[in-house]
Amino acid sequence: MIDITNEAVEIVNPVINESLRTGDFYDDDEDVCVDVRNVSVMFNLSKNREEGLKEYFINMVKGKVGYKEFWALRNVSLKVHRGDAVALIGRNGSGKSTLLKTIAGIIKPTRGSVEVKGTIAPLIEMSGGFDRALSARENIFLAGAMHGHTRKYMKKRFDEIIEFAELEKFVDVPIKNYSSGMVSRLGFAVATCVNADIIIADEVLSVGDAKFRMKCEERIQQMLKGGTTILYVSHSTAQVKKICRTAVWLDKGMIVDMGNASDISDKYMQSIRQEP
Amino acid sequence: MFRKNIDEFMYYVPFLKEVIRKDFKKKYHKSVLGVAWSMLSPLLMMVVITVIFSTIFKRSIPHYPSYWLGGNLIFAFVMDGATGAMNSVTNNASLIKKMKIPNYFFCISSVTQHFITMLLSLIPYFAVSFIIGVPPSPCMFLIFFPIALAYIFTLGLGLFLCAYGTFLRDLSYLFNIVRRVWMYITPIFYPIDIIPENYRFLFELNPLYVYITIFRDFALNNTMPSERLLIVATFYSILTLILGLTTFKEKEDRFFLYI
Repeated sequence: MIDITNEAVEIVNPVINESLRTGDFYDDDEDVCVDVRNVSVMFNLSKNREEGLKEYFINMVKGKVGYKEFWALRNVSLKVHRGDAVALIGRNGSGKSTLLKTIAGIIKPTRGSVEVKGTIAPLIEMSGGFDRALSARENIFLAGAMHGHTRKYMKKRFDEIIEFAELEKFVDVPIKNYSSGMVSRLGFAVATCVNADIIIADEVLSVGDAKFRMKCEERIQQMLKGGTTILYVSHSTAQVKKICRTAVWLDKGMIVDMGNASDISDKYMQSIRQEP
Repeated sequence: MFRKNIDEFMYYVPFLKEVIRKDFKKKYHKSVLGVAWSMLSPLLMMVVITVIFSTIFKRSIPHYPSYWLGGNLIFAFVMDGATGAMNSVTNNASLIKKMKIPNYFFCISSVTQHFITMLLSLIPYFAVSFIIGVPPSPCMFLIFFPIALAYIFTLGLGLFLCAYGTFLRDLSYLFNIVRRVWMYITPIFYPIDIIPENYRFLFELNPLYVYITIFRDFALNNTMPSERLLIVATFYSILTLILGLTTFKEKEDRFFLYI
């Protein structure tokens, strides 16, 4: 096992002070609902697809030659407070989605720990685990059940969800026939209706039309007031500034900087412009 | 720790119901007869098997159709359930990658789905038994015991297979061959009497033989199986479940790398 690169953090971020790296960005007495501590996630690029006996024996004979480690996250520490809206920004492949999946409990960190207080509604890759062969109606019950809600409870919220997603005409159409905008609308509507304490939104708002985006932003503001926490990934700096108070800038699996949303997004944009 | 697991289980019970409902719907999607196939296919197979074998085993097995149907009922459930559980994590990869759901729920849902199919095929089983004149007895109600044990065994076996099958896809091909061999070493279409007495203890090493024998004793022979057999059967079920659960828990953290 290669020890993960503590020194790399220092090389890339000489400016970050100690408190930022250890995650003590806020005062500790505040209400922390997501606590990510020194999390590193490793993917095994070549072993990843070792799905057959042949490959298995080849690798065994070779003694794991061609074994390639890829650290999607390195020593990431982060604390999120109840009712906060945190944006994750960074380029493609910087580890944003991996961090969200780690927080959501889908990926177990290779090193470090994640502590979450409350329930999470993950909206990853637009849909929170919809079955594409099923209709919106069935998917709503299925998604609700994933959050521990009975059919009876979801029936009560059903009309509200459909109305918000504007899918009245397509309730019984299998969602494989939906456009990506329709799926993301449904996903957003369901995730915001299951009463989760933390909502993870991975580029959900990027496909909806302007009208729906406005509606979503309104809903998000409303939920923030109600004490819901939102973790948000977006490539739109304008949206980040509008919705989030805090931003975390990731690059190559490490936190470059975090703090006030508009400051950080400006810094991020600036760094992109400067890149060759 | 134990308490936490129970709470987690209870939290996802609605999910289990929905997934089973969903899989059932998808299984018979667009077929005209739908669920009726769960009852029809063993009946059709029974006719074929009876025509072929009943002349050979006429003397030693009374009520041959019920004999075969009962044995096959349990055998098919265990094998289908275990195979389904083995592939359940891979088949639900898109969901597992997006939602945090304990992986073993997919095994439970797969086994339970096959279990329901098996319960449905009990209807034609008793219909056939009634028609061919198997005397009804209160003993028949005791079949829930071997059936429940078979469920626990299947779940354990399925979890075990899933723990390895998720990493090594070849396992499902391998298990297909095992299944075929297993069918021949289990007295489903032949009577145990054709095996010499001094080799019969070997059959008791086969959990499926034990469950099927208990089932037949209750449903067909109207007798109590020996206590020894009942204890052995319970032992197999619990042992397999513990083995399956521990193996699964140990491996599941690395599943996401392979799906």
